[in-house]
Amino acid sequence: MDRNQITKWIKNPKKMGSKYSLWAIYFCTGCGIIEIPPILTSRWDAERFGIKPAPSPRQANLFLITGYVTLKTLKAVVRTYEQMPDPKYTVGFGSCPINGGMYWDSYNTIKKLDKYIPIDGWIAGCMPRPESIFIAVTHLWTMIDKGIADGYEKYKEKYFYYRKNQEKALGELDWPPLHPMKKKEEGQ
Amino acid sequence: MNKSLKKKLESDFDSSVEILEKNGWTITANKNQVLDILRFLKGEGFDYLALISCVDWIEKGEFELIYILSSYLADKEKMHLILKTRIPRKKPDFETTIHIFENAEPYERELHELFGVNFNGHPRLEPLFLDRNYKTPPFRKDFDTRKYVEETFGSIKSVEGKK
Repeated sequence: MDRNQITKWIKNPKKMGSKYSLWAIYFCTGCGIIEIPPILTSRWDAERFGIKPAPSPRQANLFLITGYVTLKTLKAVVRTYEQMPDPKYTVGFGSCPINGGMYWDSYNTIKKLDKYIPIDGWIAGCMPRPESIFIAVTHLWTMIDKGIADGYEKYKEKYFYYRKNQEKALGELDWPPLHPMKKKEEGQ
Repeated sequence: MNKSLKKKLESDFDSSVEILEKNGWTITANKNQVLDILRFLKGEGFDYLALISCVDWIEKGEFELIYILSSYLADKEKMHLILKTRIPRKKPDFETTIHIFENAEPYERELHELFGVNFNGHPRLEPLFLDRNYKTPPFRKDFDTRKYVEETFGSIKSVEGKK
């Protein structure tokens, strides 16, 4: 452990604990998943950064969406995200979740993933190199330090709008709302 | 064997055979005779249906159905056959080939979903991949993807800035 960080640990041990042990759930859509096995295994060894694959979304706090998201997978993405315990961080990997990428005029992929679930960071590229995951994770550390990786809080706050967008894209959802559907009045 | 097969196809079934390469032929046939040709070819040893595909010739008002067959028999030369036929675009009905090649079932479902071709006699023509109902089947040439994307996904507003 870095001695310079001892004060941080004493001030906020919970935050530091979740920061250095990111249990990742990889959502294997599209081509991005090809980059994941070398990251986990000996060549790039993600465990140096405290990242390990989680067996189930209920035990994970880092959500990597690696590739395009179709309407069918969006359903699974939302369900996976809602099952994860707080604090949870999401990273969109590759250019497809950012704005559609090469599928920008496809009839069946959603274009901007952050309309449906909150995203803390993006990794641009088609495909990004495996090293970029570690750059993203170190960025995520500073964001957690500063308290701006607050996507899960935003999700609670603006759940009304997120759920409305999900319903608009997917039709009727067959699971109940996760948070109360409150709409804040403007000016409050 | 190959020469006699070509002669038979041309004389018995009134189809034109084009030899693209030594082991790859294209057969263009009338739509009424496709089932007979498939049955005949299966008897000749072409017992593997690799793919059923479709092309939308919008200017001619036709769909082109494409059956790709190949033979895996050890004693014969390995060959690919492409069987093409055209059906009218206004009334895209065709007969199912499940009773000849059983693995035609998912291909026909896929073509029904993406091109709107009806295969009479198919036990379940339900959507295979897609989760949403499209007015025009999405692989037809007159399906305007950009307009569709703008209308469906572009109309969903970003959550950023909302309270």
